[in-house]
Amino acid sequence: MKKWIRWSGLVGFVSVVTLVAVFWLFALGPLIKMAVEKYGSDAVGAQVNVADISLGFSPLSLTITGVQVADKDAPMENIVSFDTAVATLEPFPLLLGKAIIPDVKLTGVTMGSVRNYSGALVAEKSKPKSDNNESDSSESESDSKKSDEQQVESKALPSADEILEREKLLTMIYGEAFEGAYQQRKKEIDDALANLPSEKALKNYETDLNRILKGKFKDVDDFKQRKKELDALKAQFKKDKQSIADAKRAISEGKSDLKQKWSQLKGAPKQDLANLKGKYTIDGAGASNLAALLFGDDAGGYAETALGYYEKVRPLMIDDEAKADTKALKDKRLDGRFIHFETDRPLPDFWIKTLSFTMALPAMAKGSDSMGQVAVKVKDITHQQDVIDAPTRLWATGQNLKSIKSLKLTGLLEHRTSPGKDSFDLNVEGWNLSNMKLGLAGLKLVSSNLQVQANAVFSDGEMNTVGNGLFKQSKFDSKDRTTLAKEMVAALKNVDQFKVTAVAKGELTDPDVNLKSDLDSQLNKAFDKRIDQKQAELENQLKKKLNDKLLSYGGDYTEQLKDLNLIEGSLGSKSDSLEKLGKTKLSSYEDQLKAESKAKADAKKAKAKEKSDAKKAKAKADAEKKKKELERKAKEKLKKLF
Amino acid sequence: MLSLLAKFFKVLNSDASPGQLSLGFAFALFIGLTPFFSLHNLIILFLVCVIRVNLSAFFLGSAVLTLVAFALDPLSVMVGESLLSNPHLLQTWTDLYQSDVWRAFKFNHTLLLGSVVIATVLFIPMLIVSRLMISVYRDRLMKWFDKLKISKLVKASKFYKVYEKLGA
Repeated sequence: MKKWIRWSGLVGFVSVVTLVAVFWLFALGPLIKMAVEKYGSDAVGAQVNVADISLGFSPLSLTITGVQVADKDAPMENIVSFDTAVATLEPFPLLLGKAIIPDVKLTGVTMGSVRNYSGALVAEKSKPKSDNNESDSSESESDSKKSDEQQVESKALPSADEILEREKLLTMIYGEAFEGAYQQRKKEIDDALANLPSEKALKNYETDLNRILKGKFKDVDDFKQRKKELDALKAQFKKDKQSIADAKRAISEGKSDLKQKWSQLKGAPKQDLANLKGKYTIDGAGASNLAALLFGDDAGGYAETALGYYEKVRPLMIDDEAKADTKALKDKRLDGRFIHFETDRPLPDFWIKTLSFTMALPAMAKGSDSMGQVAVKVKDITHQQDVIDAPTRLWATGQNLKSIKSLKLTGLLEHRTSPGKDSFDLNVEGWNLSNMKLGLAGLKLVSSNLQVQANAVFSDGEMNTVGNGLFKQSKFDSKDRTTLAKEMVAALKNVDQFKVTAVAKGELTDPDVNLKSDLDSQLNKAFDKRIDQKQAELENQLKKKLNDKLLSYGGDYTEQLKDLNLIEGSLGSKSDSLEKLGKTKLSSYEDQLKAESKAKADAKKAKAKEKSDAKKAKAKADAEKKKKELERKAKEKLKKLF
Repeated sequence: MLSLLAKFFKVLNSDASPGQLSLGFAFALFIGLTPFFSLHNLIILFLVCVIRVNLSAFFLGSAVLTLVAFALDPLSVMVGESLLSNPHLLQTWTDLYQSDVWRAFKFNHTLLLGSVVIATVLFIPMLIVSRLMISVYRDRLMKWFDKLKISKLVKASKFYKVYEKLGA
């Protein structure tokens, strides 16, 4: 028998196996670290950093310390980081290349911690790109930029400036027309005004006329000479009158044209406003959706955070890519397949049977303490649920909660059939809210007791989420002293309990979100006023901007109009004075003769009248004298009788 | 490979036990025909090291049988498939499947099971046939072979120099 045993061979085999074992003992930690960092980075699209990995043998375990998983969208932040992870391992499945981890315990779990260095993948940045790729990427960048812009557009009512920038406004169209017409009319008027006689010229006319007409004509030649000069002046008057008439007409036409265009331009902001209001109105749907205004920001923020984490975790749960990779890597020789049998010990490639950790909940408000802790337990984490024939389950339970009575989140990630379906249920009871800022009229929820029940289902890129929040013993207040704020606070005083329902449906990347509340009906009036106020604010802003635009086209049109009117008035007075000059001076020459004869006649008449008046006075005095004499005689007779 | 072949001929022409040589060929069936990185091959290597098996025959046989395996793999897969799908054996496989140790041997892989079964089935015939052939070669063919012109040519070749260097 001894003849058949090769002792040297036994020693050699044992030596080789020992050497290999020792090599693995030292190399396994760094190799696992390398594998975790490489495949982890590939999976999450950002750096996964591990400080150290050590092995334990009784039982076989792995201790990973200082793990940071960077956020690919914010490379200076971690999606998650933890201080240590202790994982027990099943040894035999490792020989099959399968990592079966019965239990993982994480400590020091933090979400959103700040990194000391960027977690972006260097390879991606330095990866040379072909021209096509570059153009593709630039296109995709611009596409994503566009979609971002569209998202922004769809998210918020644009500001007055944004609206004015993107819309083709009547104010601008009419403004440009007005500006063109104004320039043209101004030129015409300026040309016409340039031909007008000046004030000095008018005074000269008067002087000339006085010179021509002053004094009596000495003789016929003198008269003829003056007549000739007068005719020349009259011709000049006529010419100047024509110029004035032309200028008046130019101004009148200009005024009429500009007035018409001005009235169009003045009306344009109103029309623009009406059009813009139709387009950018906070309509009835919005008006009744008070809940969206009050709670939209917070709900949207929480939902975005939750969805962000879900989208990051989701690819790790789907096995399609892994299957494709496995198929591609299949050795040509190694055909054949594994046939699986019924077992209570299935072996997928990777399986964490239980993962548990505790993490701090975020603070309710900046600067305040955390709301407490949440203990998370996840069972059956694998990308091959069909092998273990079980979905991934999640339980999160609140611990040492400060302002919440109880918090429970359960999740079921079912990927045994395609398409997969992930569902989550959240139940929060007795959440004491305090000083929660609401998105309207400086309103805040001073205190309330909230109960939340939410259910979210994600399947095939679609989501269907319904969340109900019941706010009890609510007290509101507002720092604002506006009518709306006061009315809102007054109205809310009567509200002790209200319900908010949030529904998000549709594509995971762009769901339709709707928030409803029975608070709406209770506060409809107050909100209507708020809507009006908001609308008025926007309208005022738009009006102001449109008026600014209008002024930029029309300049200080009213002042210019005043000037035109003044000019027109002065033209009228000039024209009148010219007319008067001509007529007055000519008529005074003719009247000179008439006046002389009339003066003579008047003097005669006055003399005759004077004579007749003297006669009349004398006759009257005589009559009075007679009358008095008769009275005296009559009185004497009466005295004698008595 | 050349030195391995030369060494093999040296051993073949020496007084080495035909049993050790044939056992080397027989064990080579497992290494050659079955996927190399399998747990059972560790046992085979252990046996080859511990038992006085002719290593030259083993390694040469492994190399040759690895080439043969490419042709034989479809048959191995078929055998494995039929065995693993056999309803009569279902309970056996299911029982074995419950054990991590057995699953570490990847018995539920069609190629591996088929090739191990074929290697096992051929083990004894290989042992006997190779031993017989070695005896026949040494008794009858070795002297006749030496007299052949081709042998003389070979002796003049590089291959023979290697063979000589090994101290034939």
